Amino acid sequence: MAKHSIMVIDDEKIVGDMAKLSFEQDGYEVETFLNGESALERLQEKRFDVVVTDLKMKGVDGLEVLRTVKKLYPGIKVIMITAFANLDVAIEALRDDVHDFFPKPVKIKELKASVQRALGEA
Amino acid sequence: MKIEHKIYLSNAVHILLIVLIGIFALQNLNQILTKFRFTVIAEGLNANFLEMRLAEKNYFLYGDDTALDNIRARIEQTSDTLLQVRGDITRAVGAEKYSELQGNLHVYTQLVDSISKARHRDAAAQKKLREAGQKLKTFSENITTLESDRIEAIIVRSKNILLYSFWAVVLFAFLFSNLIVRNIGQSLRKVVDLTRAISRGNYPKIEEKPSNDEMGAVISAISTMADELHNREKELVQSKRLASIGILVAGVAHELNNPLNNISMLAQTYAEVYDGLGKEDRIGFMERVDEEVERLRVIIRNLLDYAKPKEQHLAKATTNQVIQKILALVQNMLDISNIRIKLSLAEDLPDIYIDEHQIQQVLVNMATNAIQAMGKGGELRIASRYLPENEEIEIEIGDNGKGIAPEFLDHIFDPFFTTKEESGTGLGLWVSYGIIKNHQGNIRVASQVGVGTTFIITLPSCKKLKRCTDGEA
Repeated sequence: MAKHSIMVIDDEKIVGDMAKLSFEQDGYEVETFLNGESALERLQEKRFDVVVTDLKMKGVDGLEVLRTVKKLYPGIKVIMITAFANLDVAIEALRDDVHDFFPKPVKIKELKASVQRALGEA
Repeated sequence: MKIEHKIYLSNAVHILLIVLIGIFALQNLNQILTKFRFTVIAEGLNANFLEMRLAEKNYFLYGDDTALDNIRARIEQTSDTLLQVRGDITRAVGAEKYSELQGNLHVYTQLVDSISKARHRDAAAQKKLREAGQKLKTFSENITTLESDRIEAIIVRSKNILLYSFWAVVLFAFLFSNLIVRNIGQSLRKVVDLTRAISRGNYPKIEEKPSNDEMGAVISAISTMADELHNREKELVQSKRLASIGILVAGVAHELNNPLNNISMLAQTYAEVYDGLGKEDRIGFMERVDEEVERLRVIIRNLLDYAKPKEQHLAKATTNQVIQKILALVQNMLDISNIRIKLSLAEDLPDIYIDEHQIQQVLVNMATNAIQAMGKGGELRIASRYLPENEEIEIEIGDNGKGIAPEFLDHIFDPFFTTKEESGTGLGLWVSYGIIKNHQGNIRVASQVGVGTTFIITLPSCKKLKRCTDGEA
């Protein structure tokens, strides 16, 4: 079985680093990006199985990433993480399109469970 | 004393004066009338005596007996008259003179009688009668002259007194109305100054006890209103600070969540991959944890800075350093909105004496407004310069954003005035204005729709204040 690929986008370097370490240990293939622009470029070249993105980023933000992913690969699940603890309105608006929404600080176990559900392995 | 009472008093004084003058004038007129009547009587006596003397002359010249009868008739008439006017003559010249007159008349009558009995016209009798007649005549002439003089004196005195009282009344009225008008004028000017000051957001303390009249009451009321407004303003500023703390906390929550999340993920991953980590890796993990904790520490320090109470803590500060500090605070916003920054900070500025935290709050507010006015992209200009002629520092914060419509320019420092559709409380610039005013500074604004807006803050330099350093010259 081919490795599932996960794209992780967050302007906090540690998020990408830790997600990479943790997910690779579970046998995923992980690519990390520090901003939306480079992630969108990469998406033009490569299809990922799951995209985990931060919502609030300078320049291209999580919403733009979400829209682009849905446009390029409609079946791909996008998991959103954010440091804004109470973005109820945003969460409501995103409900349909976003597979899951995690406020920071993120529990990596929950994130992994969500990725597994997204891949239909739950 | 109340103005109302002052006016009543002045009216009372006026009325009293006029009544006194009236009474005085009436009395004088009565006196004049009495004396005038008496002079008529005296003139009558005089005429009688004159007739008697003429009859005398006729008798001695022509020996005409009817002349004597004529004299007797006149004497009769005079005696009656004298009895009638006894009181008047006594009043005018005294009882003694009256008796003297009566005596003289009696002597004259006897002389006439003896002459008519003797029926001869000797020179001695003639002489005696002439002398007696002369006495009578002189007497009546004297009292006529005397009374005329007295009438004249009374009239002159009345005229003078009326003239003086007229001027006194006029002067009093003039002085009093002047006093009242000046009083009211001064009070009104005070009221105008006070209300002007209050409308500019200053709350002057009224040191002197307000006068005990209506204007004093007005000034007291305004003073009370100013105090109330000041308290409200403090409450508003407090609530505004609470609101901005709310906004800040939301922002800070986001800021805090990132390092917290990093620490959390570091810890979770550390536990997960522990077996595969070398010593260097483990140290690396812990160092990264510590870096994130430091980030948290900085955020919390800034938060505590903001939450400080709004009392002035003045200290010497360097303008350009203050500007650099707020740049660090708004850098994030600049990055998000993709805004360039253009600094032109003058070298060698004299120091300023400020509550740095408050001035930072003002500059952050200005910068935030500028950034919001520009939206995405643009250029934030911050300049500092020294104006030697005023010994003032100028800080200029400009943008090339949408600008402010001219009809709003007069109101942007008003409380609750905002041009932002949703987000503005309309208190930011007002609070800023208050802070700068409390620093004896000023804020000006120039704006052109579609071109941009420039705020210019002036603050007195240490040179101007002459009190920046305690102890040092």
